[in-house]
Amino acid sequence: MPYALIAPVVVTIALILGYPLYFLVRLSLQQYGLFELIRHQGVGVGLANYRSVLHDQIFWHTLVRTIVFTAANVALTMVLGLLIALLLVQVSRPVRVLLSSGLVLVWSMPVVVAVQVWYWMTNFENGVVNYVLTQLHLGSFEQHDWYASTFSQLSMVTLLIVWGALPFVAITLYAGLAQVPPDLLEAASVDGAGAWMKFRDITLPILRPILLILTSLSIIWDFGVFTQPYLLIGQSKVTPGNFLMSIYLFEEGYFKSDYGRGAAISLLMLAIVGVLSIVYVRRMVRIGVET
Amino acid sequence: MKRRSIAALLLVTVVAAAVAATTSGATKKANASSITVWLQTDAQSGWADLVASVNQKFQADHPGTTVNIQYQGWGDHLQKFDATLAGGGGPDVIEMGNTEMTKYMAAGAFADLSPAKSGFDNSGSWLKGLAASGVYKGKTYGVPYYAGSRVVTYRSDLFKKAGISKLPNSTAAYTADAKKILAKNAKKGFSPIYIAGTDWYFGMSFVFDYGGGIATQVSGKWKGLLTSPKSIAGLTAYKNFFAATSRASKTTDETHPNPYDVYAQGQAASMIGPSWFSCCVGAKYKGSTAQFVMPGHVAGTSMPGFLGGSDLAVPITSSQKALATDWIKDFTSSSSEKTLQAKGNIPNATNLLGNSVNERAASRSWFVPTAKHWVDVENGNILRNMLAQILTGKLSVKQAAQSASDNIASVLNQP
Amino acid sequence: MKSRQLGWDALGIAVFVVMVFPVFWMISTAFKPNDLIVSLTPTWIPLHPTLDHFTDAIHRPYFWADVKNSLIIVCVTVALSIALAFLAAIALARFGFAGRKLFVVLVIGIQMLPQAGLIIPLYVVLARYHQVNTLTGVIVTYMTFVLPFSVWTLRGFLLGIPKELEEAAMVDGSTRVGVFVKILLPLMGPGLVATSVFAFITTWNEYIFARILLNDQSKQTVTVWLSYFYSTNRHTDWGALMAASTLTAVPVVVFFLLVQRRIAFGLTSGAVRG
Repeated sequence: MPYALIAPVVVTIALILGYPLYFLVRLSLQQYGLFELIRHQGVGVGLANYRSVLHDQIFWHTLVRTIVFTAANVALTMVLGLLIALLLVQVSRPVRVLLSSGLVLVWSMPVVVAVQVWYWMTNFENGVVNYVLTQLHLGSFEQHDWYASTFSQLSMVTLLIVWGALPFVAITLYAGLAQVPPDLLEAASVDGAGAWMKFRDITLPILRPILLILTSLSIIWDFGVFTQPYLLIGQSKVTPGNFLMSIYLFEEGYFKSDYGRGAAISLLMLAIVGVLSIVYVRRMVRIGVET
Repeated sequence: MKRRSIAALLLVTVVAAAVAATTSGATKKANASSITVWLQTDAQSGWADLVASVNQKFQADHPGTTVNIQYQGWGDHLQKFDATLAGGGGPDVIEMGNTEMTKYMAAGAFADLSPAKSGFDNSGSWLKGLAASGVYKGKTYGVPYYAGSRVVTYRSDLFKKAGISKLPNSTAAYTADAKKILAKNAKKGFSPIYIAGTDWYFGMSFVFDYGGGIATQVSGKWKGLLTSPKSIAGLTAYKNFFAATSRASKTTDETHPNPYDVYAQGQAASMIGPSWFSCCVGAKYKGSTAQFVMPGHVAGTSMPGFLGGSDLAVPITSSQKALATDWIKDFTSSSSEKTLQAKGNIPNATNLLGNSVNERAASRSWFVPTAKHWVDVENGNILRNMLAQILTGKLSVKQAAQSASDNIASVLNQP
Repeated sequence: MKSRQLGWDALGIAVFVVMVFPVFWMISTAFKPNDLIVSLTPTWIPLHPTLDHFTDAIHRPYFWADVKNSLIIVCVTVALSIALAFLAAIALARFGFAGRKLFVVLVIGIQMLPQAGLIIPLYVVLARYHQVNTLTGVIVTYMTFVLPFSVWTLRGFLLGIPKELEEAAMVDGSTRVGVFVKILLPLMGPGLVATSVFAFITTWNEYIFARILLNDQSKQTVTVWLSYFYSTNRHTDWGALMAASTLTAVPVVVFFLLVQRRIAFGLTSGAVRG
């Protein structure tokens, strides 16, 4: 019975991604540039691609930077997302529809457009952010360049990504909160439990599977995010000093047309993300088994 | 063990899919008498009627053949092209940016058009800079399509108010004019000449104006030229020119912000860029905007401008190479080029050149080294970083040039 | 009590304002005449709004055709993916079977692959199946990206539903299908809706694979249509782009408004009693 249930998913994925995955692994073991692409024929070089990547200083610096970046993004997304989800529960119906529709509006903005609007808001010449901050007398932010240093560049990118990721997390958690039986909460109130205790003992356990899933998904996505940092920092300012893993992959694999190396980096990224999210994934898998 | 057999089953499914994929034959061939042409969106928004009329003529000359035009975007057309090179279904004619050509020519992506070269209109007088981008190891792979140069777009009213009666004929004269304009317009952030600090298309023009260069090939190996005395003189001249005339950011490029946006806000009296900049100067200044050719440091000469442009090539994977070549012949015919010229572009041959500012500016031009790995130099922002270091004073001109030159040589000399 | 509710509502509105501000900026720009868009001092709301950008956007070639394509692709992808993912999620959450761990690894592993590396191999595969430049090719591709996280997320929601509910129903004489329809489906309402909203938005906004796989402009999706606004070597018409983006966001918001009621609070009330 269970096999019949999972068969359609397995078949679909295998049909479409089966060959590409095999191709990707094979590519990573070959010298395969534009020349080879045209001739559909690569030169086998064993693990040379992997060795070259692992010996690349830029790879390691980028990896560390991306891990820190991912941690910051995931933490902010999950905490703020949970807070907004809880807020959605507390507000009255019209405000709830307003806020959740607003979140969906945010979610539905095409990334390229969101980046452009973000740039307009934060550019040093006539950005709204500088204008508002100066008007609020929080200091002189006229012509403040928010993209001057790597830290501020990546902070801007983080804000953009977290802003774009909050809707999914908030709405999904809200849906999760909808599964918490209000009678249980009422009963606990009658027994004298405070808000924090109710949250910790009733809500959190029910939310745990979803929290773990969202965290693992966030780690996976934030580790591999490409469009926002690449477009917001801008092609002319992207340097090895502010690379993120996906940009490193793009530059080394696609731009240099070194597909073999690109494949090796892709598979390495796969392995690294696997390791980073293993804790959450394991817990998730175990929850299912316990029942 | 049951687990093993399930794993085996899944593995077999994956492998079966792979085998099926690799043995089910080539993609269905397009209708035998049809060709697919990839042009950029600039054509769709700028001269779609020209494309339509060329197609009409082509289809009349080749009854039974249809032309399928697919418009591409600059951001991802190469990614798409690569995918079709790998999997088939690619175009028969493709428009390539002139800086994009060399990498693909070196990889053997295009058909050799040398035998058909004499059949193209004006092939004897093709613009040198543009034609060079389509030639690799003596063979012609790309047909020049159209070009664009760089000109000065300026506010004639502000020039008049500053007492400038005739346009500058040397960079020194232009600098002096800029100072006059600055005296009359002391607004915060106002630039007499708006130039983005890392606008290497303009910055390198100084290098070429002084007789320097970026890199050259000496017995097969690339050697950097930025450290030559002439190049250093050019870079120093750029540094001084920028300091005296532009209040733009020293570290940002020519799209953040767009010079014409700065101009439209009233924060620039002139800007240097492609001639189409005049489209977007805003309603307020449209009437008082005109253009002139950027002068060089020697009075009476023009500064060599970066010659941007596109070529048309026939991918090696095309199954309709003859038809594709004919289509290119029609699309780059003299009459076709005249239409492109009327739309503000520079036509592909010197005998067609007219007297517009854009075309006069193209009389002295420069182009990037035709090296397989030049795109890596551009993508690595080597020249941009060098300019930023020079302008901010982080490194001396000599130091910045040395490091950039070494960098460029090592990138270009990769296998 | 009332002032407490007001307090929460005020906070909710404040969060709304902060989150939606960039979207507001996009929409406001869509109505601004060109000179206001680049002006030095930011304009919040244009005094003389113009509809020119919207008319310009709608009249660009293939707008309605591409909207239709997007709707077809997205609706089919979401419907099929949610259905299949739900079944697979049930298998994962309620059954123990050999190969289960492998399936979980497959589901998670797919998502960990950077998509950039898959572009060319995927194109090659679809070309062999003659699915390049077809809507079905894109649908199937999107399904492979949507299925993993849908399975993963729906499984999470399923695990939040206590098994006792189903067992109680079975004891009461309900069939397996009956349990499914009367117990699981309603309780999964919020989860299914949230996941389908996510699937809808992700596929609606997907760009690169649509760009690579669809050649004819008449077959492209609305995100590809949008890219023509900014893929030019010349200046980008920001007003038109903002107007076009606002238009492309409309179906998503409409879809959400239609389904958002299902993410209602208190669906489980009474279920645990007895």
